[in-house]
Amino acid sequence: MTTGALIFAFNNEQTDYVTMAAWSARNIRRHLNIPTAVVTDAQPEDPRLRGFDQVISAAPASGGTRWFEDYQATVTWHNAGRTDAYTLSPWDQTLVLDADYVVASDQLKAVLNSDQDFLAHASAYDITGVDNFTGLNEYGEYHMPMSWATVMMFRRSEHAELIFDCMRMIRANWRHYKDLYQIASSTYRNDHALSIALTIVNGQTLEYPSIPWNLASVTPEHTVTRTSKDCYRIDYVDQDKRPRWTSIRNQDFHAMGKSHLEKLIETR
Amino acid sequence: MKPVEEQGYLIVATNTQNTDYVNCSETLAKTIKYWHPDARICLLTNEQVSTGPLFDYVHAFPFAIDTVNPYANDWQVFDATPFRETIKLEADMLITSPIDHWWNLLRHRDVVVSTGCRDWKDQPARSRHYRQVFDANHLPDVYNAITYWRLSKTAQDFFATVRNIFENWPHYRAMLKFPEEAPSTDVVYAIAATIVGPETCTMPFASYPTIIHMKRHIIAAKRDPWVDEMICEYRDYELRVNTIMQRGAFHYNVKNWRYGR
Repeated sequence: MTTGALIFAFNNEQTDYVTMAAWSARNIRRHLNIPTAVVTDAQPEDPRLRGFDQVISAAPASGGTRWFEDYQATVTWHNAGRTDAYTLSPWDQTLVLDADYVVASDQLKAVLNSDQDFLAHASAYDITGVDNFTGLNEYGEYHMPMSWATVMMFRRSEHAELIFDCMRMIRANWRHYKDLYQIASSTYRNDHALSIALTIVNGQTLEYPSIPWNLASVTPEHTVTRTSKDCYRIDYVDQDKRPRWTSIRNQDFHAMGKSHLEKLIETR
Repeated sequence: MKPVEEQGYLIVATNTQNTDYVNCSETLAKTIKYWHPDARICLLTNEQVSTGPLFDYVHAFPFAIDTVNPYANDWQVFDATPFRETIKLEADMLITSPIDHWWNLLRHRDVVVSTGCRDWKDQPARSRHYRQVFDANHLPDVYNAITYWRLSKTAQDFFATVRNIFENWPHYRAMLKFPEEAPSTDVVYAIAATIVGPETCTMPFASYPTIIHMKRHIIAAKRDPWVDEMICEYRDYELRVNTIMQRGAFHYNVKNWRYGR
């Protein structure tokens, strides 16, 4: 059985996702020892693509625009192509990672070694403990439980294919599902589509397997810097407005502030 | 009444000016019989209803009834049931999946009044909006919509206490903070459970049946009735609300919603 990691990288006005993905690919190979593929609209001769085992050319699919706190700007969000991961992946078993997911350990090996056909995170948390993620771990007025599309593992199977088919169906009928679950924002999100798809495919219930730990996250308001290999420092302001910092070592995390991650990669 | 069968479901139906509870009971009985064709069902009513494919027994209330507060006759279920083991169900519910495993779950006590309720996502209800009198008076969070008992001294005492509370409501009312003007069955059952000892008639620690309670503040609906904003799909006796499959006892609350089901 072949295994690899798939990263989507479509640059927009503000963020160089291709460079971010190339850096992530090196981390993935170092920690997980699996090949990587990038789905991108960058030119094949682009030197940033040399670090990938495979380059899959695709047109960007926009999910709309979104305000990014760290850029203080509204940017185009090329997120809608993620639903094609099943079709695009060259492997039997695939780890789909957001370009801003920092692999700093081999903890995802446990996900790759699991017997499940599909896994994603069912809950995320703020590493600093400052921000309460209760609202982010739910969606819509009815507080539906969220699944995070930041890390998805799937094996080629009817079950996994159904999940991605279902996500495409939800994206195509986004207005209906947005109204059904009373989701305030009109912008399509993969996290919402995944959450709804998992419900539908798993017998219209909210009971399905998930990655057995929560997704560590650094919010855009907090600054991430690298202190040494696989060791990061997070600077933040606590509830009493006092500057604080914490450091993490050998801990994967989701860098929600893209600009900080870009600077970190530039200065490595 | 001497039991004539081992186990069965009892539904109480007293029609009011606004609600045809007998019709609610027929809908409920239809859903029980779909999942369990051999289930035995007794309707307790003073309305003119015949036995037939839905109701194996139709019993009249064995004692004089309170016509002002129809709920105040609930204590008569103990004497009215033809079963040695009874599960009493509130009329305005649907059964949306098999429930025969309930018997095994409930047999740990002589009497079990269900504790807590669920929303349509199968999550324990967090809202206390409808339970202020329970919280203020430290009463157990019981829901009489699912009540189990077997013929026993414990059950006899429990329902005798229920009767006493209904018939002496002004006395009990005076002891409560934020009391209701007319006693609701849930509050009376909660007081009765406190008197006989919650440990004898509730199992809040256990995994056992609770109702899906479709009340606005429990289900986070923005308006009443909830059926105006949520999508229900009902087919082959299975029910989905906003795409989520409903299991067990679905307490719909909106009485006229059942028509056509």
